[in-house]
Amino acid sequence: MASKAGNRNGTVTNEESFEALFSAEYGRVAGIANRVLADPHEAEDVAQEVFIDFNRLHSASAPYAAAWLYRAAAHKALNRVRGRRRREKRELSQATDEGAHTMDPQHMLEVSEDRRQIRQALARLAPKPATVLVLRASGLSYAEVAQSLGVGIGQIGTLLRRAEAALRKEVTRGTSF
Amino acid sequence: MAHLSDGTLRRKFDDAGSMTESENRHYTACADCQARYATLAEDAQAVAGALAVPDLKVDVASAFSRVRTAPAQPRFGIRLPIVRPASRPVMGVLAASAVVLALVVTGIAQGLFFHPQSVQVVQVSVADLQSLNGLGGFGTLTWTTQPTPQLVTSAAEAASVSGLHVPAVGNLPSGVSSNVTYAAMPAAVGVFTFDAAKAAATAAKAGKTLPAMPSGMDGSKLTVTVGPAVVEIFGNLNLPTGTGTTTGAAPDPSQLTLPQLVVGESSAPVVTSSGVTTQQLEDYLLSLPGVSPQLAAAIRAVKDPSTTLPIPIPIEYATSTNVTVQGVTGVAVGDNTGLGAGVIWIKSGTVYGVAGTLKQDAILNIANGLK
Repeated sequence: MASKAGNRNGTVTNEESFEALFSAEYGRVAGIANRVLADPHEAEDVAQEVFIDFNRLHSASAPYAAAWLYRAAAHKALNRVRGRRRREKRELSQATDEGAHTMDPQHMLEVSEDRRQIRQALARLAPKPATVLVLRASGLSYAEVAQSLGVGIGQIGTLLRRAEAALRKEVTRGTSF
Repeated sequence: MAHLSDGTLRRKFDDAGSMTESENRHYTACADCQARYATLAEDAQAVAGALAVPDLKVDVASAFSRVRTAPAQPRFGIRLPIVRPASRPVMGVLAASAVVLALVVTGIAQGLFFHPQSVQVVQVSVADLQSLNGLGGFGTLTWTTQPTPQLVTSAAEAASVSGLHVPAVGNLPSGVSSNVTYAAMPAAVGVFTFDAAKAAATAAKAGKTLPAMPSGMDGSKLTVTVGPAVVEIFGNLNLPTGTGTTTGAAPDPSQLTLPQLVVGESSAPVVTSSGVTTQQLEDYLLSLPGVSPQLAAAIRAVKDPSTTLPIPIPIEYATSTNVTVQGVTGVAVGDNTGLGAGVIWIKSGTVYGVAGTLKQDAILNIANGLK
């Protein structure tokens, strides 16, 4: 959450609050996006868009700031997976390039293909189960996930269980997940 | 003791000490709960592995610099997170479908076609929206009184332009700017004329064959009156904003800044018909290629079509519920996350809407507090 910073008069401007919020939460917000996209560059694009949207619409000192950012990052990243086909080609291309240096190319292609199928299956889930999976996998506590989703903490276990079962079902339609 | 819930067992997977003493005793003695735990633990491990990614290393200072130097976006418009994945094409057809869907539903009504007194959700898919968008090819819409929406400087001017009482918003939630921009529009009248030749040509272009128009439908007219209307937009619309991507993508003019809160009021639309009978129109429109059986059934399920305004909700991207607002039944879209929510209702022949990047509870409070 944002830390307080003061100007010469000892008061905190929204600009200072936003910078503090950004410093505190950017890594986590980008991490959430990366969890969905498995692409660091695109994840940072998403994270920056999320902060820009937030700054346009809300006060940086809003008590819901972090929860808003987490959820928005998950949604925006999931939307990118849903909306992009060219990403598939780039992933395969990247996998081939990177594989030449680090791993067996065939294995890298398989890893990339698995990752692509899992992300697409994730994006086919309804928004709430997809988001709960992403936020929990990104290391958010049950309380943080609950706050981001606007639900009670007692619901998170059930939501996670259903979401995990749904994702496995979605993925196993086409793979040996 | 009843068996442990899935939620309790799932939490145990993340936190072995999360169960109470009695729950632990039950678990130790219950083979069924242990078997369920084994299954869900396997699922949880598999999903955790599937979603694993290498650690992300970020340069926060550089990222902040990019955000601060991001190019400005256009000042007005809509960017709803709940429909964001659909992007421009669906936003376009969503708008078009609202009009066309109203026309479709009016086909069921009798006499004075359509003068809604209440709202009802019609769930649509993206494919439905795209098929509805194509219905514009079945005739020609001409305006006898053009819609002339305009920005005005005050509530008084908005009232003067529209002839409507401009609703006053009570207490704004904290975080919502008190800066307000007013827009107003006098009533507009359009005439939609069915044209069999145009319909056939449009279908031929798309490689489709249409059912023949019923006798008397070609050349028949629907007269649609929309407005007058006023809109109040809360937010700092003059602030420069940006897209700010590391890929340096140019700002997309269609992706406009979403105000924090929008309150709208409009006289309910009125539709009258000449020539075609209502049953003919319904049967024809719902039999067109691309109109799914689900959509047709949803439209036929509208209980009182002559007095019900259908609200198309894309089922992939938004959820809706019936709510009581200002003492009548309305439709609420969105949720309590604060990402986006809205409510629409009709009272005394006037359509009201409140929407914004707020929680649904806050939107409903504002709606109920309008005076």
